[in-house]
Amino acid sequence: MTDQSLPTPVGTGRGRSAPAAKRRHGGLAPYLLLSPSLLIIVAIFGLPLIVMFILSFQNWSQINEFSSALKGQWTGFTNYTTLLTDSQFWQTTLRTVVTATLMVGLSMTIGMLFALLMRQVSTWARYILTFALILVWSIPALVSTLVFQWMFNRQYGIVNVLLGYNNVHDWLVSSIDGWGVVIAVVVWGATPMVSIMMYAALTQVPSELVEAAQLDGANRRQVFRHVIEPIIRPVVLIMTSLSVFWDFQVFTQIFVLFSNQPNTQFYNLGIWSYVEGWQYGNYGVATTITACTMVIMLVITIPYLRQLLRIGGDAR
Amino acid sequence: MSSSTAFTPAATGVLGSESKDASAARVAVARPRSRRKQYVRWFFNLVAVAIAMVWIFPIYWMLLVSMTPIGSIYSIHPQLLPSGVTWFAFSQVLHDPDFWTAFRNSVIVTFSTVVISTFVGFLAATAIARFRFRFRNSAIVLIMIVQMVPLIALIVPLFYIYSKIGLSESLFGLVIGMLALSLPFCIWTLRGFVAGVPADLEEAAMVDGCTRVGAFFRIILPLVLPGIVSTAIYTLIQTWTEFQLTNFMISDQNHFTLPLYLNHFLSANQQILYNEIMATALLMAAPIVILFLLVQRQVASGLTAGAVKG
Repeated sequence: MTDQSLPTPVGTGRGRSAPAAKRRHGGLAPYLLLSPSLLIIVAIFGLPLIVMFILSFQNWSQINEFSSALKGQWTGFTNYTTLLTDSQFWQTTLRTVVTATLMVGLSMTIGMLFALLMRQVSTWARYILTFALILVWSIPALVSTLVFQWMFNRQYGIVNVLLGYNNVHDWLVSSIDGWGVVIAVVVWGATPMVSIMMYAALTQVPSELVEAAQLDGANRRQVFRHVIEPIIRPVVLIMTSLSVFWDFQVFTQIFVLFSNQPNTQFYNLGIWSYVEGWQYGNYGVATTITACTMVIMLVITIPYLRQLLRIGGDAR
Repeated sequence: MSSSTAFTPAATGVLGSESKDASAARVAVARPRSRRKQYVRWFFNLVAVAIAMVWIFPIYWMLLVSMTPIGSIYSIHPQLLPSGVTWFAFSQVLHDPDFWTAFRNSVIVTFSTVVISTFVGFLAATAIARFRFRFRNSAIVLIMIVQMVPLIALIVPLFYIYSKIGLSESLFGLVIGMLALSLPFCIWTLRGFVAGVPADLEEAAMVDGCTRVGAFFRIILPLVLPGIVSTAIYTLIQTWTEFQLTNFMISDQNHFTLPLYLNHFLSANQQILYNEIMATALLMAAPIVILFLLVQRQVASGLTAGAVKG
């Protein structure tokens, strides 16, 4: 993008085009550079993904005998039509979308505010905040959920003590409270990565550029909108899309918080697919749910992906 | 937050010493405002410390639980401050040989994944940022799309393929799996940093007598170092704490990583030994935090970005 070339000093504009055009066609070089990564990604994701889609058109339930898969009974679109006419599917989808939206919105907003705050504070304060964030980031979801479960425990939890609800309020019963705790664990765990990545992106904004804009009379809003935002946009886009992917598939937090047996009101599409596949043995249905989840995620993130492609589509 | 002193010279001073002259001049002109600016900075410092305390509270709570004797954990009136401190849980974990086996495995897997992922990811990022070639957009789309594939759906087919080629139960196979999980993000993030370095800079260095390799090490590497550090930290934490994939690939206790050790510990005991679980989790987090503090210092001490100036 043109805004990405802003950091280059004025005057190089003419000199750059010729060599840049030359290096764009590097013969075999780009393929060689890309191949190790693509090989690993395709090996781990590609083949299993194809198998998964095939299974969603079959009626297959023997997880232990994988070799019998792909020789299973073809059922055409039966899995899909059954699922799409099931009211539980639409309820679960709605629940997944709503909770994921809240999680993404909260973690992106809080993360961005933290990153902006880190620019405003003295070095020692930034160290303290970064230290706290890294500590939070390095706690596995399994453990952080156990801590939250313990903190929100009806009898022994500190939250009830602090709120004065001791021994009275059970947080894991009603839908709103339960999801509130889930969202709290997820957002608490997600903000460190968002803020640290955003801060790293903000450090890429050259101070001269900001000063030049200020000297030219831009106010803070305009500086953010026209100078800072274009430079950090790739990071914002990737963090938003990743958050959507991750928050659509929240699993450990829900599963552990409700002691491995979440009530159906706490199902999201991922939990539901797991329960169908691993507890009831309907692997065909489970893969169909997963395939639908991927389609929904794709539809939601298409605008972000298109922007990412446009940014990444610009070789320089 | 961005509404008060955002992007004044004092605030952007973090970015590099080059702006010092300019900011000094501006401060001299705007002296009456500088005292207010200091108050504002102190206000933000307080906000930052308050947020840090809120965010760290659950971890403080973990520490408290890990230092409480198991009998007193189930107390009707939990206290904010410890009443009796015991290091029993920590010494219990540190004296468990299984913990050290898992620690060693985790170090091997994480170290290999971080090194390979950063290197291989950097190559791919250079290809995408600097070259135009066929299938370039398809490669970008592929890298993005694979991140939305739910792991749970992949695990059964992946397990089958792994056992066919004899990679299940091996740390090597685990590293390959971890690489696939971390590479897409690494490639994408590094692409941004490589694209941020003007191609002229490299050419100018070569005109001035640097070899291509020399130009890479002297010019490109220092400029993309913040990107490398942040992707390495991402990969480090992702790999160190990864549970789902590892859980399906590894069942032999000799190949357990720390998250599996923790999970095994959780399911092996009838009553949940909260104090020892929390102690284990804190011991797990410690190396990451120490490493980060070491790296953070280096990054802050001058190799900061914003040096993309030419």
